[in-house]
Amino acid sequence: MWKRRLNAPLSAALRRTLAQAGRATVPIHSASQRLQRLAEQRAPSLSSDVGIAGLSHFGRRDSLWSSGRSCCSESAPECWNCGAVARKSATTPFLVCESCRSVQPVDESVDYFQIFGLEKKYEIDVSNLEGKYKDWQKKLHPDLVHSKSEQEKEYAAGQSARVIDAYRTLSKPLTRAIYVLKLEGVNVDEEETVSETELLTEILELREAVDEAADSQALEQIQSQMEDKLRHWSNSFASSLWTRKFEDALTCVRRMKYYTRVKEEITKKL
Amino acid sequence: MLRLGAKKLAGLAPRVPASGPAGVLPRLYHERVVDHYDNPRNVGSFDKNDPTVGTGLVGAPACGDVMKLQIKVDEATGKIVDARFKTFGCGSAIASSSVATEWVKGKHMEEVLSIKNTEIAKYLRLPPVKLHCSMLAEDAVKAAIKDYEGKRAMSNGSSDGAKDIPLEKAADA
Repeated sequence: MWKRRLNAPLSAALRRTLAQAGRATVPIHSASQRLQRLAEQRAPSLSSDVGIAGLSHFGRRDSLWSSGRSCCSESAPECWNCGAVARKSATTPFLVCESCRSVQPVDESVDYFQIFGLEKKYEIDVSNLEGKYKDWQKKLHPDLVHSKSEQEKEYAAGQSARVIDAYRTLSKPLTRAIYVLKLEGVNVDEEETVSETELLTEILELREAVDEAADSQALEQIQSQMEDKLRHWSNSFASSLWTRKFEDALTCVRRMKYYTRVKEEITKKL
Repeated sequence: MLRLGAKKLAGLAPRVPASGPAGVLPRLYHERVVDHYDNPRNVGSFDKNDPTVGTGLVGAPACGDVMKLQIKVDEATGKIVDARFKTFGCGSAIASSSVATEWVKGKHMEEVLSIKNTEIAKYLRLPPVKLHCSMLAEDAVKAAIKDYEGKRAMSNGSSDGAKDIPLEKAADA
């Protein structure tokens, strides 16, 4: 809009000279006069009221506009608000603009590992997640944008929810395992019926034991048993993934799921 | 009203043997689900080594559920005379297996094989996200029958009896 208005003096001047050349075109003449007046009214306000800030603002808009044209050839994300382009070398994904701090729209192509600046692999150092998670929420939390536009509030709600999801997913071995498989294009079919009798018999017995446990000591004993099992199957998962044996990896995930479930039951009772 | 009733029933009910997660049932379940969750029919176990018993053991990794359904068969008529189940899972899974044990009793095995999960789901008015619970019950019935037939084939083939039959055969449905 601004650009068009600012272009007006030129076109108006052109039309004026044209109109002066051929007096017959009266309607154009009057129209161009109106345009000219508009442009003249606009021009002083630009230079006097807004001053340097206005100029720099203009400059940014302009760069947004021109880079907007070239965005089709290169895909470095840029801020919807100020037009600043994300640094290509940046290790953190572009969820917030570094220049104007505006929250950016959710980009689904950014995976959970990228959000936490991690390499895409199953074995990660979980202890670093919480700090990074809190850092993100300091920038993305919807409470921080309550005075901003509806659009940005929506972005903040989406980004914040996604970071929560990412944190929850990566912090637990089971959900992380399922997520890593998903990134590999292997989906865990949750609707399937399993009939691994050995596993199911074991789980049935465990669940009965949890149900009938007389005291918390008995429960804690099963709990630590489950932790051992989870550790074991988590390691198996890691090596299956490493060798890209996805069927084996799925078997590990199923087992982790069941042992996690037993653990949850124990937690409920403790 | 129903919601309140369901909450009360699930919340105040004494712990039933097979009700794994004794949490409050999700709202808006049909009263039949609540009824079967609250008063599950035929909870318990038969001796799995009994040659007249078929055991189906299945699981749903989605919720970490495990369901054991057993049938006791009259060898002469091929009719199911009794059934038991033990389910560690959500309310829908417990209700589905409870209903399944009720339905198989007194029926011939052939008849029972035609029980579809959709019938159970329809009867209990299960929401779409819980359809797999009824599927689990159907699979458990089939696995139990397969186990029984496996045992019979073995005892007919060898006089050893059914004691040493590996259970894997049972749940290979």
